[in-house]
Amino acid sequence: MKELYLIVGFAQIVFVIFMQWQIYLKKIILTFALSSIIIAAFLFLDGIMLNSTNLLILGTLTITIRGFFIPRYMLKMLNLAYKEREPRHIVPPAASIIISLFLVVLAYIVYHFTLYNITYIKAGSIPIALILQGMFLIISRNNAFIQLTGYMVMENSLFLFAGYLFPELPLIIEGGILLDLVGVVMISSIVIRLREDAISAITEQFEKFKG
Amino acid sequence: MLYFLSAVQLLFVIGFAPLAAGVFNTLTEKFESKKGPSPLQPYYDLYKLFGKQSVVPKVASSLFQIVPYITFSMYLFLTLVLPIITAFPLSFGPVVDFIGGGLVFGAIGTLKKIASLDSRSNYAHLGTSRTSSIGALSEPIVVLIFITFGVISHTNNPYVINNIMQTSSHWYFSLVHWFVVFAFFMALLVETGKLPIESHSSNEFGMIDQAIEMEYSGTELALMKWGGYIKQFILMSVFLNVFLIPFWVPMKIELKGVLLYAALHLLKMLILILIFSVIQSTVSKYKLFKNFEYVAMAFSFAFLAIVVFYTIGGAM
Repeated sequence: MKELYLIVGFAQIVFVIFMQWQIYLKKIILTFALSSIIIAAFLFLDGIMLNSTNLLILGTLTITIRGFFIPRYMLKMLNLAYKEREPRHIVPPAASIIISLFLVVLAYIVYHFTLYNITYIKAGSIPIALILQGMFLIISRNNAFIQLTGYMVMENSLFLFAGYLFPELPLIIEGGILLDLVGVVMISSIVIRLREDAISAITEQFEKFKG
Repeated sequence: MLYFLSAVQLLFVIGFAPLAAGVFNTLTEKFESKKGPSPLQPYYDLYKLFGKQSVVPKVASSLFQIVPYITFSMYLFLTLVLPIITAFPLSFGPVVDFIGGGLVFGAIGTLKKIASLDSRSNYAHLGTSRTSSIGALSEPIVVLIFITFGVISHTNNPYVINNIMQTSSHWYFSLVHWFVVFAFFMALLVETGKLPIESHSSNEFGMIDQAIEMEYSGTELALMKWGGYIKQFILMSVFLNVFLIPFWVPMKIELKGVLLYAALHLLKMLILILIFSVIQSTVSKYKLFKNFEYVAMAFSFAFLAIVVFYTIGGAM
């Protein structure tokens, strides 16, 4: 299981770096969906190995909500062509890829000197790296959909962390977080859409004056 | 025996390098539903160029004319020191390790750039500028890859690394190895001038390496082109024999085994060329400034290999 955890964990890190590289929102959302499906598969396998119903339920929730429902909803919201990509970044993609990479190293160093003395699991730094990368995805991009994806990457890392290190963590906490998130995503997306529509309605008149 | 095998390897590379380039061009055209040139086209091109008169820019110094001969002989030297059809060092094998080989590649690149600057052509200068910009970022990736393999095998000798990869399933299936494979593959596309980095067309937008040899003609251009084919063949062979499929490369000094593997190597090469042609036909070219993002991704894979190495507890 340790080997599988390593593969899943580093695949997640690569997915986040890939998200930093991309400017097309659709690709970013689909990458997030794929990463959630992989985490769900990992939780399933972990649940079967440990004979834990909690993990099986958590895996089902993850694949249904994060693997399919949320990505599908977000893609549905991206119905206008101009919303499909984010050409202007706060941090340039090449720089964000490198920064994201160094966050992985930072997580390894921080974990090694703190939590490692309690857990004694060397690969425990992976979820911490994912949390830092998710945070960086939020602050390095302007687009609200990508920021939401960054937030959900942080959540995914928590599931990976809990699923591997603390499989007996009460399900209610994890399920609760998951369901809360659905609500947050829906409301945020609607609010964002309303705001963007309102702003574009105002700016459209001025775009006519562009030479 | 080792001298004889060295000569066999040298002839093998010199002889089949243009064919590999020809097969790649043919397959790429076939993927695009075109008839495509014959796989032997690079041979015809070389034959034609060797028979043509050389034209040298009036302002260029003698260095401009000497460099193709020097770089071609340096490529020939590299064929003698890398594991192409043998997994045991040939006569000149102990002369350099991976880093040494990388330095020779670097020296060839530098000489080509100096010569192209000497031609005073705007296109050649443009190519030099672009090659230097991308090379400054892609070369450290290759060095990082060699360092990672050095950490695994405690050596920088490509033959030892091949033997370890052939015999140790632990390292072959490890994440460290596969991250390195991805990083090297991405770097290979940069070094061999393939899409999405470089498109070989007649306009200057996609030119990178191609622009460097813009002012050459006749024999010198033939040597530059042939050198380019050899470079591509060597890098692809190293990728196959040390990184991706290190198996079946003969570890014992035996002529029959080496000759059999030489045929098998061409088959391995064909598979890699097929992958290259699929990429070439399906991926569009990046804008020049986007190339740096691609290089950053390749660097990420190489760097993550080292992070994985420490995460799994170092040398086990």
